[in-house]
Amino acid sequence: MVQTDALVTDVEESGPFVRVSLAAPDLHPALAPGRFVLADLGGYLRKPLFPASLETPSPGDGEFDVLVLPSHPAAALQPGARVDLIGPLGQGFRIPETTRRLLLVASMAHLPALLPLTNQEPGLSTALLLSVATATELYPVQMLPPALEVHIVAADGSIGHRGSILDLFPDLARWADCACISAEPAIYPALAGIVREVRIGSTHHFAQALIAPPMVCGVGACYGCAVPVTGGIKRACTDGPVFDLLELR
Amino acid sequence: MTAIELAPEHKIGLTLSNPVMPAAGCFGLGMEYGRLIEVEAIGAIVVGPVTAAPRQGAAPPRTLSIPGGVLLHTGLANPGVTAVVRRYGRALAHCTAPVIVHVAGTSPDEAASCCQRLAGIEAIAGIELGLPDTPGGLDRVESGSGLSDFLNDAVAIIQAARVAASQPLIVRLPMVYADLLCEAAVESGADALTVAAPPRGTAWHEPTRQFITGRLYGPFVLPLALRILHRVAKLVPVPLIGCGGIHSAEDSQAFLRAGAVAVQVGGAIWHDPACLIHIACDLAPEASSD
Repeated sequence: MVQTDALVTDVEESGPFVRVSLAAPDLHPALAPGRFVLADLGGYLRKPLFPASLETPSPGDGEFDVLVLPSHPAAALQPGARVDLIGPLGQGFRIPETTRRLLLVASMAHLPALLPLTNQEPGLSTALLLSVATATELYPVQMLPPALEVHIVAADGSIGHRGSILDLFPDLARWADCACISAEPAIYPALAGIVREVRIGSTHHFAQALIAPPMVCGVGACYGCAVPVTGGIKRACTDGPVFDLLELR
Repeated sequence: MTAIELAPEHKIGLTLSNPVMPAAGCFGLGMEYGRLIEVEAIGAIVVGPVTAAPRQGAAPPRTLSIPGGVLLHTGLANPGVTAVVRRYGRALAHCTAPVIVHVAGTSPDEAASCCQRLAGIEAIAGIELGLPDTPGGLDRVESGSGLSDFLNDAVAIIQAARVAASQPLIVRLPMVYADLLCEAAVESGADALTVAAPPRGTAWHEPTRQFITGRLYGPFVLPLALRILHRVAKLVPVPLIGCGGIHSAEDSQAFLRAGAVAVQVGGAIWHDPACLIHIACDLAPEASSD
């Protein structure tokens, strides 16, 4: 964990998001999918940023991308600006080495945190179940790796399957041997119910879900980012933000 | 820089090499900030709050962003004093700055129990005792007769802590009643006073459609705390620690000029952990020249 000054190297539109490229050599090596940094973007509270891409064009540059909605304060950054970051923080997604079929589940606004997991590893088949309100807000699927199997659900039926994540999740949960989820927490209990139903006997750590309430300190000092779990309360910033889906309450 | 003695009347004393320390509730249990803050550069660390038994704390949501700051309601979440000593005692013993443990004095029994557990531990240089803002609820205080009961309750908590604690005792006064309590706190054995605890406020949390009441952090707290420090400084002769809305060396200087001998930095640490060091370094010439 370091506090470091990152350089904004590029800012561009990327579908419904704004892609902000940051160079932070001190930080990059320990960043991982689901882990985050806290960025000083001008408000009293720092904002969590999740890496959406961890590719390093030139070794040593320490460059990574974040994707934010246009209303996010990071979207107003300009190339050449400096941003104070604290990180990397938290516990990210943990994909067991034995995984052969990886399922990613996201709603559109929460997709960026899963994007680093879309990179294809040898011997790993990856499917993405993505929900959008309507076709016009869809992240450009051509920007995703070609081998990624993409299942789109739209609430209005304008693209893909009309309905919700819950409609397609059961079959994909049967197919997968690991699931990583980043969506509105309100849907997590229903997803957990499906996992319990279709993954009898192999549910522990099968599904990992990202949950990110407002984080004040990011290091576990303030106890402000409480997440109710089985048997008590955990801190999103240090115990999470990625939790066993079945642990969440 | 001249050393600062927070407990001149205590047999052990509590000497700081620097007037800057973190505020309770903002620095965790001392280990969380790791290498982000070099504690040898600051006067002391204040860890906790701790209670006698473990506390899960308040149900979420606990955090609400408000204009210029944050409202936080943790419900005294902590692993309990015994677990703190067991898990962190060894690490705290190696801390290069004096360690002050903030005990949440929710009752005389709780205060005594925590202080007894911490008594005699060499790694713990001092106890900071937090008091309830309004024991028995606000209605009781506003009824008039309830105010004296509230003050009596607070005094009983301080006295219980004083009897049980072997280390110097700092009492952190509630902001609203700091001037009413300060003299009784000193008479009850406080070696020093922290002025003051973060004030409480209430805000609407739209996602869950409920009001959240918690402590307020932000620069806007500074004038409130400074006003009450001015008043307390005229009433008691013990060392005072200024606390509330401090975000810079200039803010700290205001408290020192108002009568404090040391300061606690609270929510500013969350935004910029390095500020603790920056304030300590920037303050050094001022502190040594005064």
